[in-house]
Amino acid sequence: MNKAGKAIVTVGLLAIFGAAAYFSVYQTGRQPASGAPSTGVLGGLAGKLTGAVPVEELSGLIALDVEPYFQDPRVQKALAANGFKLNVQRIGSRDMAARVIPGQTPDFFYSSGVVAANQIGDAAKKANIATTVYSPIYTPMVIASWAPIAQILATNGMATEASPGVWHVDLAKLTQLMLDKKRWKDLKGATAYDVNKSVLVSTTDVRKSNSAAMYLALTTYAFNGGEVVTDRDTAQKSAKAVAGLFKRQGYQENYVNGNFDDYVSIGIGKTPMAFIYENQIVSYAMAKKGLSPGMVLVYPQPTLFNKVVFVAASARAKKLGELLSTNTELQQLAVDFGFRIGDSAYFVQAAKATNLAVEERLTQVIDPPSFDMMAEMIDVITREMAQ
Amino acid sequence: MQARQKHHLTRWASVLLVTLGLVACDKPTEPAKSTASPAAAVDTFTVLATSDLKDAQPLEKMVEDATGVKLRFKFGGTMESTEAVQTGQANTDAAWFANAKYLLSDPQGQGRVKLQEKIMLSPVVVGVSESQAKVLGWDQPEVARKVTWNVIAKAAQSGQLKYALSNPATSNQGFMSLMGVVASAAQKSEALTASDVDRAAIAGFIKGYKLVGDNSSYLSEKFIEQQNTRVNAFINYESWLLSLNQSGKLKEKLTLIYPHEGVATADYPLMLLNDAKREQYLKVVAYLKGDAAQTWLAKTTLRRPVNSEVAKAQASLFPQDSMLVELPFSTDRALADGLINAYLNEFRTPIASTFVLDVSGSMNQGGRRQQLVEALQYIAGDDASLTGRIARLTSREKVWMLPFSEQVYSPVFFQLPGVGKGAATGKGLATQADSEGKQKVLGQVRDFADSLNMTGGTALYDAVLTALVNMHEERQKNPGYQYSVVAFTDGEVNKGRDMAQFKAAYANLPEDVRAIPVFMVLFGEANEAALKELVATTGGRVFDARKASLYSVFKDIRAYQ
Repeated sequence: MNKAGKAIVTVGLLAIFGAAAYFSVYQTGRQPASGAPSTGVLGGLAGKLTGAVPVEELSGLIALDVEPYFQDPRVQKALAANGFKLNVQRIGSRDMAARVIPGQTPDFFYSSGVVAANQIGDAAKKANIATTVYSPIYTPMVIASWAPIAQILATNGMATEASPGVWHVDLAKLTQLMLDKKRWKDLKGATAYDVNKSVLVSTTDVRKSNSAAMYLALTTYAFNGGEVVTDRDTAQKSAKAVAGLFKRQGYQENYVNGNFDDYVSIGIGKTPMAFIYENQIVSYAMAKKGLSPGMVLVYPQPTLFNKVVFVAASARAKKLGELLSTNTELQQLAVDFGFRIGDSAYFVQAAKATNLAVEERLTQVIDPPSFDMMAEMIDVITREMAQ
Repeated sequence: MQARQKHHLTRWASVLLVTLGLVACDKPTEPAKSTASPAAAVDTFTVLATSDLKDAQPLEKMVEDATGVKLRFKFGGTMESTEAVQTGQANTDAAWFANAKYLLSDPQGQGRVKLQEKIMLSPVVVGVSESQAKVLGWDQPEVARKVTWNVIAKAAQSGQLKYALSNPATSNQGFMSLMGVVASAAQKSEALTASDVDRAAIAGFIKGYKLVGDNSSYLSEKFIEQQNTRVNAFINYESWLLSLNQSGKLKEKLTLIYPHEGVATADYPLMLLNDAKREQYLKVVAYLKGDAAQTWLAKTTLRRPVNSEVAKAQASLFPQDSMLVELPFSTDRALADGLINAYLNEFRTPIASTFVLDVSGSMNQGGRRQQLVEALQYIAGDDASLTGRIARLTSREKVWMLPFSEQVYSPVFFQLPGVGKGAATGKGLATQADSEGKQKVLGQVRDFADSLNMTGGTALYDAVLTALVNMHEERQKNPGYQYSVVAFTDGEVNKGRDMAQFKAAYANLPEDVRAIPVFMVLFGEANEAALKELVATTGGRVFDARKASLYSVFKDIRAYQ
């Protein structure tokens, strides 16, 4: 199938980075004729309910991450109460820049990452369209793990329990341990996980997924002696060095929730450590789907934030961007989907209601390398994995 | 157990094939009950499901009642189904397989799948007759917990473990078992490559492989018959073995062994193929992952829920064993390809079979002769697709061609040369091209097929009896082969013995002739009921070639040999 082949190549080159990015969404985005999904006319009902406010109808392209948020009737009602009715369509973040077309650009884009937002910004600049960027919500990258695993990492001097149930892991030490191909049973005090498996963090497919690209950003940072990769040579060298951390995983899930699904349903035997967005597990816990005993979050030191970035391409959308960033109700509703907001106390309070312990304040956070560097590194990994 | 019709679990891998190959791929292994036409109405949601999911068919009504979506399953063999999805020929809105990792690690396959959600879980485990588990010490949990695939392979090699397993070349369970042995013998589970394959370990494991088949219904039936005589273990999905234990049909229960650090779990992804049905898909998934369906699946089909609340509530249905360490799924194609080839051509017990071929006059009608000739030429041909490779005559194989019409003619014998001495030791897998000797014999088989002349009546039962007697004699001389009879007919028996006379003659054959199954191909105007009666006597299976190409049926049969 030509289209699939082409898509793979494009993915490799363009780099999914910054996209909510799983393949199927990408495919959908490429085939508008096949009935690309739309969340439809949201807020229509809510708008009628509150007829008092003059209604602004806005069109937007949104990432998968925020689709459930906009589908929530409470969000639609709150938007309607503030005079907004949205027509949104969900597409892959990395496809958004291509939709910046003079005269046909939607009012806004809500992309799942900084890099995709920058791409949109660049495209808009070239097309002479003014844009304003907001970042109403974000989520840190975390390792979903298990108490016995965290304990083993602690015994081996690379993790600490920062507060009850919340662990920190030294990224440099963990990366080195994995690059040294250490096995769990080789570690000190490993009786609780005395298995022959290599120590590896599970990710989704780096060729297709943003979260795995984030993992690449972190591990190359560690390999590079705690420096963000900024030049091609270093990118090549670092990516080559960490390629095994992806390749040695064997088959990787290539849809956004695959890795997390394995963590929650199959458990420690398959997935001792899973690299995920914090909001995946927080929203899971909030939906009371039942956390298993022993599930803990391990925060890499340092880690990365995944910012969900709102790009306003019209004056009306600027108002919406401000509203999403500042309206207490709309902000707090985002927390129901596991996202962090400016009001961190509210997030912490909400998370406490579940039995999942989260880190209240993240201090050690780095920025990802530039889009070009990421593309370079993903390309290297893609080649290594094909061998 | 038959009622559950749960069978032939994911045949893993047709994704390895690069192209569609020569063959129509729409042939289900069994008379597939298609309850929905491909071009279904707007409100229906059609799902191409592997036939091991037949026990989940009541979900059609449950889903419709709960969501209004008219869910309709269409069942098919896994290999054909995988191939159908990959090539865009599925003609359904979704596909549901026990394991789709091969489909999804291939860009083309992946491109077909718009969304996917795992619905339930079942690991591949080893069920051992309780008495034999005791002999091995595996009745003690602390010992059982540490049993690796390597330990299992050694028990097979020493003759202590004689197991039933579906074909490693065509099934997920079979293939993952081989991978388990490879990983365990190599002392590593990640990044396995062809050079890690310890040939002696594989050869040892295969020594215990006594009951071959390609469908869990069939294997279970045979297992119940032969438990503790020819076989004492069954490697299959946990769900299947737990069901057998509950069925009350076993001579004794099976102790389930979860291979230490080598469990391969089927995760049953439901995959959306038709984007226009996204809305229905999401409704179906929401229902299937909800409490009602998950509880029903756990209780009725004994598959583990993915919904963790239900998993907690139904935990008592499943052995509460220790942590199950999952065997990573290797995406190394050279390893997978090489392992299957080596299994077929070196490791497996070589096949010895008689092809009973109807050359009666009616074969001249409607291109029937042509179909038979082509089918024989294909199995002696060079179809390099995965299904083709399985169908192909393998190294060391012995074939007797036994044509019959109103009389039984003399058998014509062919033997394919082996791959040379010392193959089953050392490390690694090398791909071998066909030797000159092998090519020569394959050519002779093709010439033989070409020379078939069709005339006269149909003395099928005489021919089958001759073949069985021949196989039985050969088996006594050379027990190191897997013997079977493949019989093909297109009409009613009108010459020679009738059914009653056949049965009487069969009853007079020595007892161990029962170890030789008869795979009967139903074609043309053949009498389905009579053929079923015949295999009920001899053991074996009827394959229906009235709606599918004869070659695709031959391919299926090869997986049972």
